[in-house]
Amino acid sequence: MLLGIDVGGTHTDAVLLDRSGLLASAKVETRQDDLLQSIHAALGRIRDLAGEVEVQRFNLSTTLCTNAIVQDELKPVGVMVSAGPGIDPENFRIGDHYEVIRGGLDHRGEEIQALDLDQVEQCTKRFLDQGLRVFAAVGKFSPRNPEHEESMVRAISDRAAFLTAGHWISGQLNFPRRIATSYYNSAVWPIFNEFANSVESSLREHHISPQLNILKADGGTMPLSQARRLPVESIFSGPAASVMGLMALCDIEEDALMLDVGGTTTDVGVFAGGDPLVEAESVELVHRPTLVRAMKTESIGLGGDSAIALSEDLCRVGPRRLGASLACGGEQATLVDALNCISEETFGDRDASIRGMREIGSGLQCSVEEAALRVVRQSCRSLREKTMAMLERINERPVYTVHEFLESRRIEPGKLYIMGGPARLLAPYLSREFGLPVVVPDNAGVANALGAALARPTLQAELFADTHLHHMTVPVLGRQERVSRDYTLKQAKRDLSEDLCRFVRDNYHWSVDESEAEVVEESAMNMVRGVHTVGQDIRVKCQIKPGITPDYEGVVKCICKELPTG
Amino acid sequence: MYMQGVANRLGVVFFPAFDWAISPTHPERQERLLYTMDQLKEEGVFDIPGIEEYRPDEAGLEDVRRVHFSFPDTESHLTPSHLIAAGGAIKAAKLLREGDADKAFALVRPPGHHAMKAVHGGRGFCNVNIEAIMVEYLREHYGVGRVAIVDTDCHHGDGTQDVYWHDPETLYISLHQDGRTLFPGSGFSSELGGPKALGKTINIPLPPRTSDEGFLHAVDEVVLPILEDFRPEIVINSAGQDNHFSDPLTDMNFSAQGYAALNQRLNPDIAVLEGGYSIHGALPYVNTGIILAMAGLDYAYVREPDFDPESLRQDKRTREYIHQICSQARQSYFHPPDSGISRNMEDGYFVRSKEIFYDTDFITERQREHLLDCDHCSGLLLMESSSSRLKNCLGIEIPRGACQRCQSAGQMYFDKAQQNESLRNMQLIDRPGGAVRRFRRE
Repeated sequence: MLLGIDVGGTHTDAVLLDRSGLLASAKVETRQDDLLQSIHAALGRIRDLAGEVEVQRFNLSTTLCTNAIVQDELKPVGVMVSAGPGIDPENFRIGDHYEVIRGGLDHRGEEIQALDLDQVEQCTKRFLDQGLRVFAAVGKFSPRNPEHEESMVRAISDRAAFLTAGHWISGQLNFPRRIATSYYNSAVWPIFNEFANSVESSLREHHISPQLNILKADGGTMPLSQARRLPVESIFSGPAASVMGLMALCDIEEDALMLDVGGTTTDVGVFAGGDPLVEAESVELVHRPTLVRAMKTESIGLGGDSAIALSEDLCRVGPRRLGASLACGGEQATLVDALNCISEETFGDRDASIRGMREIGSGLQCSVEEAALRVVRQSCRSLREKTMAMLERINERPVYTVHEFLESRRIEPGKLYIMGGPARLLAPYLSREFGLPVVVPDNAGVANALGAALARPTLQAELFADTHLHHMTVPVLGRQERVSRDYTLKQAKRDLSEDLCRFVRDNYHWSVDESEAEVVEESAMNMVRGVHTVGQDIRVKCQIKPGITPDYEGVVKCICKELPTG
Repeated sequence: MYMQGVANRLGVVFFPAFDWAISPTHPERQERLLYTMDQLKEEGVFDIPGIEEYRPDEAGLEDVRRVHFSFPDTESHLTPSHLIAAGGAIKAAKLLREGDADKAFALVRPPGHHAMKAVHGGRGFCNVNIEAIMVEYLREHYGVGRVAIVDTDCHHGDGTQDVYWHDPETLYISLHQDGRTLFPGSGFSSELGGPKALGKTINIPLPPRTSDEGFLHAVDEVVLPILEDFRPEIVINSAGQDNHFSDPLTDMNFSAQGYAALNQRLNPDIAVLEGGYSIHGALPYVNTGIILAMAGLDYAYVREPDFDPESLRQDKRTREYIHQICSQARQSYFHPPDSGISRNMEDGYFVRSKEIFYDTDFITERQREHLLDCDHCSGLLLMESSSSRLKNCLGIEIPRGACQRCQSAGQMYFDKAQQNESLRNMQLIDRPGGAVRRFRRE
């Protein structure tokens, strides 16, 4: 049996499933000051509904780390960076304890200047004197050669409660992002670790001992042990949960868009050939770009409760939310109120909605229906324009080869999946505006929790080999070794796939077939010095992509009937 | 706060063409911008608020035909990579004119500044002139007039000089290693532009081992005062990076700090990558420096691992020689000499003959050029050309702003030439009419 809980901003949803389908679902209000209590409450509800059950796996999606970062409740971190030449690393200063250590590597990972171990020692002592127990050690070009970072780790680790080294996070080159991500990883660790302990003990109280996984921003899961090492990966799992929920509910095989219409915002997700787009450079935290791999989603400031503002003969919807809609006892007419006036289904206090829209209508010198229609169409147009702009940015992404330039495939959505409260009411209008068939899945109310419950592990790793230097490294898996001049791209691909699968088997308690390790980028370039080829520069990126737990595929499929266009 | 704010919003059109090479071990090969990419990515350059990375456009054949007489035809000298490099430069120009950026850098390959007006093949790794294609695109689509191109590649940009030799609206200034010591062996102080554009071509041939000090002296004492006088609408840096002290093909002592300082002072609207083949020790740092300088950011820590300013210092003799070359160059712009300029006339046309060698494709070309001495415009251009591979070609250009007489004369020549059995390949570039006519005898 699988348990999934999504702790969202307003609600905490929980679902319990077995291979026959959904057994129980529950929705409780989230107490932002006590997320653990919210989880408790949801678990209690599930138990009330389903009784004592044997849960094999419990997947949890939580806003804990996101909140800690956004609300600046972070613990102090001692950050050590070694930089070498380039942009002044002072520009990347983060937190209150940040020191640049002398030493540097070049873009091949070759040492330009030895790491100043005396300075590392003095800095460690100073940090410890300041009461710091949590650290981050980040070197420029560490994915090419982690040696400097590892020297710092060796110097600090015995005296640290927790430590993040930059190359554990990602094999992707981006020093400022690596610094910020490592810092946040360490800064949320104390909170996350305590939370993890509490969750484990409360599960014991409930007498269940499932394998506990945490949902990541890329829509995959990681076991709690891994999450304790990389808690920063649990940020922004909410939008990922809704994308995974949609994948659980509908068979998506084509290019498609997901619009999850919430109260204040609409989250847009993108599918290419049925796979959700995932990006390593999409998440920004408090204006700091990070290396956290995440579902490519964008949030548009327009939702069901967006207030309608009137200016001259125009009306605008959003981005402000001034409270609930009139239909729900609010004070300001919203998009939901407009929908309420023109839909067959009614919602809440329809008369209140009509009164509100009459006022808007008199401002626009038109009838209630026309005013409502205008508001709805305006909202749909705004959603389409912003969605299309996002799609254009994705399709116009830089490419680096002539082949990609000429052949790169554009994402052209053929279907629109709409979720969220006002989805059913909004669907026909969105369909007309986008000119696309629309699907509103059933069970969408608990889609996030379903997505969390049914998500499976994901992992990405990069391999870099320089056969001239006889050097090969897979930074995030901690692999480093000597390779011969004859090492090939083919071997590199095989090595990385095997490593990735082995790592998942050993650390994620998940059996994964090597066919599931997908090579997403590969290149092998001859390195010429003078007029001689001296070696090859080999790069491979491999992933286990997000997806639905195989043996549960289809258990909660809904009837994804397309609504007639227009 | 993460990074200081940029002074100029910078668009970087980055296209390293990782699957394109002239030949496997050629300097112009797949690997050339690999380490530059690594450095830029690791620096997080494209995350800096105000610096944006863009995908290039692909130039159309019409964009090439507007600039070059190509024989036997345009297509035979092009690979997709050439059109994408030219399209990258066009994209940079568009970013500026559409208001998406204040400055733009086309970090693309292959380069273009050795491609001349007539093209029979590849010269100095160049097949089409990507700056000229960009400049003429700007003129055709955005009505741009006066343009200055400052070529800081170590090799004389003989192609760009040739394309704009007769154009008084395009100022071409080249700083390069003295032609007596390096390919293509041209770019001497006496090369000052055609009779109708005298002083609009300025060459500053610098001696081997010129360092940051010498380059910056030339910028301060020659380039900037001339630009101030010329008042271009757009300044372009033809940003070759082979003046670097570690470049394998040249003998200069320029550094990443120097390149950045040069761009800070020159303050170009657009930079376009040209040569530069120290792909490991120079390009990653030079490109980072140029990008930061163009955006108006601090670049003080951008330096090569083996940078040693002491060992690169210019000696007194070099310094004095550079000062002398610079004062001569400055003089040539403000007071172009009357003497020493070839002004052979035939029936009211200025006549010029030249021989061109295509080192990449091993072709020799002979040209005879006639420019109508017109009082009302820059004059109709006729170019007869024969190469070791293709004889009897003719190019006719009716220039921008051509008078009525030159326009009809150009059309008439083209019609008449088609009757001439001995001419095999012809191209008419009609700029006022916005058209190109071509004729090929089988």
